[in-house]
Amino acid sequence: MDQRFIREMKEILGWDSVLERHEDLMMYEYDGSVEQARPDCVVFPRTTDEVVKIVKAAARYEVPMVGRGAGTGLSGGALARQGGLMMVFSRMNKILEIDYENQRAVVQPGVVNLDLTQEVEHAGLYFAPDPSSQKACTIGGNVAENAGGPHTLAYGVTTNHVTGLELVLPDGGVVRVGGKTAESPGYDLTGLLVGSEGTLAIVTEITVKLSRLPEAVKTLLAVYETVDDATETVVEITARAITPAACEMLDGWTLRAVEEFVHAGFPMDSAAVLLIEVEGLHEAVEWQAEQVSAVCREHHAREVRLAKDDRERELLWKGRKNAFGAVGRLSPSYYVQDGVIPRTKLPATLRRIDEIGKKYGFQIGNIFHAGDGNLHPIILFDQRDPEQFQRAVNTANEIMQWCISQGGVLTGEHGVGMEKNELMPLLFSSDDLELMQRVRAALNPTGRLNPGKVFPFGKGCGEVRVQPLPVSAASPV
Amino acid sequence: MSTRPTSFVERLVRLAGPSSVITDSTTVESCSVDDIRPAVVAQPGSAEEVAEVVRFAAAEKLAVIPVGGRTKLGIGMPPQRYDIALDMTRMDHVLAYDPGDLTLGVEAGIGVESLLEVLGERNQFLPLLVPWMERATIGGIMATNSVSPLRIAYGGPRDFVLGMEFVTGEGKLCKSGGRVVKNVTGYDLHKLMIGSLGTLGVITRVNFRTFPLPSAQRTFVAAYASAREATALVQAIAKSPLSPRVVEVVDPAALPILRSQTLPAGLWSVVIAAAGNDKVVERHQADLARMAHDSAAKEFQSLTDEDSRVLQGRLREFVRHIQDSRPAAVIFRVSSLPTLIAELVEKVGAIAKRTDLASCSVVKAGSMIYFVLWRGGGEPESGLQPACEEIFAAADAVGGRAVIEWCPTELKREVNVWGPTRGDFELMKRMKKVFDPVGILAPGRFVGGI
Repeated sequence: MDQRFIREMKEILGWDSVLERHEDLMMYEYDGSVEQARPDCVVFPRTTDEVVKIVKAAARYEVPMVGRGAGTGLSGGALARQGGLMMVFSRMNKILEIDYENQRAVVQPGVVNLDLTQEVEHAGLYFAPDPSSQKACTIGGNVAENAGGPHTLAYGVTTNHVTGLELVLPDGGVVRVGGKTAESPGYDLTGLLVGSEGTLAIVTEITVKLSRLPEAVKTLLAVYETVDDATETVVEITARAITPAACEMLDGWTLRAVEEFVHAGFPMDSAAVLLIEVEGLHEAVEWQAEQVSAVCREHHAREVRLAKDDRERELLWKGRKNAFGAVGRLSPSYYVQDGVIPRTKLPATLRRIDEIGKKYGFQIGNIFHAGDGNLHPIILFDQRDPEQFQRAVNTANEIMQWCISQGGVLTGEHGVGMEKNELMPLLFSSDDLELMQRVRAALNPTGRLNPGKVFPFGKGCGEVRVQPLPVSAASPV
Repeated sequence: MSTRPTSFVERLVRLAGPSSVITDSTTVESCSVDDIRPAVVAQPGSAEEVAEVVRFAAAEKLAVIPVGGRTKLGIGMPPQRYDIALDMTRMDHVLAYDPGDLTLGVEAGIGVESLLEVLGERNQFLPLLVPWMERATIGGIMATNSVSPLRIAYGGPRDFVLGMEFVTGEGKLCKSGGRVVKNVTGYDLHKLMIGSLGTLGVITRVNFRTFPLPSAQRTFVAAYASAREATALVQAIAKSPLSPRVVEVVDPAALPILRSQTLPAGLWSVVIAAAGNDKVVERHQADLARMAHDSAAKEFQSLTDEDSRVLQGRLREFVRHIQDSRPAAVIFRVSSLPTLIAELVEKVGAIAKRTDLASCSVVKAGSMIYFVLWRGGGEPESGLQPACEEIFAAADAVGGRAVIEWCPTELKREVNVWGPTRGDFELMKRMKKVFDPVGILAPGRFVGGI
């Protein structure tokens, strides 16, 4: 990397906001995915103004750049695939405004998801998207990936809760799209930007909706002897349109791993559990809880347990949200997949995943947002063994192909990133992909912003000048 | 005119077949936009046929406007050019409906009313209580982002559309999103399509999530002496645990347009519909009655099912009733915030008064305000331009976002109905260039002359 560029970064930001030493950069070569790529320089801006200066300098030196929040993403979205500059937003972590009356907040991208909720819950409000990483992940990252979470079943994903953005374009121009109101005249650019995985612009300010905390919550744990009974329950809950706020499933292997670590109260000898939450008015919650229990019993639940109090409820959720940590204790590496299928296809799909695991010789755990049909198969492998790694990737790809054959999609909440960009042609035609790439080129014409993400390399678009990847960066291990 | 139009029509007939190309003057006239007639109406029967016609138009640089039920062609600025109307109403099929998954895929030309009937058979619905219910098509509702009062409970199309297929200005059939309820694969191009008035693509298919019909529903009316008191109740509801599916505020001056016998004369009515099981509805009634009492409402009533049906139907068709009774009225659609409503209502009232105009307002879905202005006494409409500019400025000053959704064509010569462009307009132009590089899709109708 051009040393003059690094000098300029230090002039703009100060010496304590720029990392360039090998050992410092190593901290930023990972995120939550199995991918790896090292930036050449990491900077920590504090203001939009600083971002503009950084971006303009990067444009002059033709340096690739990528934004990063907490690095909890699971598809390599916040990795510097082509090296270059990484902008980490951990110091842009201010809540700029809270409009309690209109249920809006304006935040910088580095604000931690849960921090916003904690800031406003005294007024009975919260920020609805609740990814499992919500204690660490940033709202900027949520916006880039259009993050979900268990409760998006009832309340929608990040895009449903963002009304406006401030953007810095790759040429350093600052543009505001949307606003505090629900809609603005013209094209819904906010809707386009949310979930664009940092490939269109850098988001420096976010206006979000705040939701009202429910009056009543009931959390149920249904315990099953077979996976089929659990998945059939989810199909029936959906078909009867009971619409719980969350409906999560853990299979037997996963719940045992979790239970040993968290002691959430999951029965060790069961084949699957469903964690179902209903929320709203007392009157609605009573009724929904009865309905849910009835469906669970009809599908041979051995036990339907209602969380007695907040402590028991929190413990159950702790089990769910710390599951990946628990799995990490059991295997040198694990690969969390993310696919979606129509909910009617759940039973067949879980059976198919089991078969695919056996075929490739891997233990696959399942812990996922069953109510959305959003699967998270966890493949356990040893990344130090290149053959195993490749086999794990092949296993994941076969699961993805199955999802798509069932009318599903490649990713429900983790993003395409550098994990699934080569799989995009499974879902999209070359015309679809070319149009999307032209949209990217309209905002990010040189392709320097988060290069190598979302789109396959094989099918280039004439107007998009993407550099071929150096072999070292493309190799995942 | 040159001889070009006849020759392109002949070529189009050769391409699409005589049964898909209509030139009779009644049909052509029915597709007029701001008094501008197309030369021909094409009626494609499939997405591929749409693509074929658009490719033809792109090659010949002919301007195309997609039409459905022809109910909202008056929205937007007059087109710069208009050669082919693309009548989508032959594409009226349900392509995929999985009630067990609560998902649906339909062709864009399907009528919303018949679609709701199909869903109703499975006790499901889409939250699209939109005007011109018996004629409006899904494609037109998406392209204009029609306002449904149910937005307060279910969000707008951007929240429940799962994916779309559309034909770009180059005649390419593209898609984004999917058929499942959760999806972050690729860019959400369908969000750009919603409200884009046919300027980015011709929508051919829309995938939705569907919703269960509530088992019980009841409508309540709380009436107040002023807009300020009425909107205070709206804010109080927003702060309560209640989750009504409809919250609308009706200006007493709107009553003659609505021809409602149900709402009390001379008062600002807050119309609230609650839905769910019986106990949930009872709870809403008890809490709302108390809130109305505490906020010194002049009246609080629970409507009979029949009164509720009639009133909600009239509120749904509000903009249509205005056009029937006051065809020269100007109708603003202002996206607002709960705390801004009362102030905006007062400001617009003052502007109307100062400029000798009659006015009324209806607030939909808790924060979307319709302002209506018209000249009393039936004299020709003139001098509306300054009042319109003032309303744009007033909305802008408090952070509201105003457009004129409906007005006479003549006024569009003096006022841009989309209001002033903002800093994001440059990006919108870039999007237009990507989707429609030749500039044949509804040219000139959209924001800033896009």
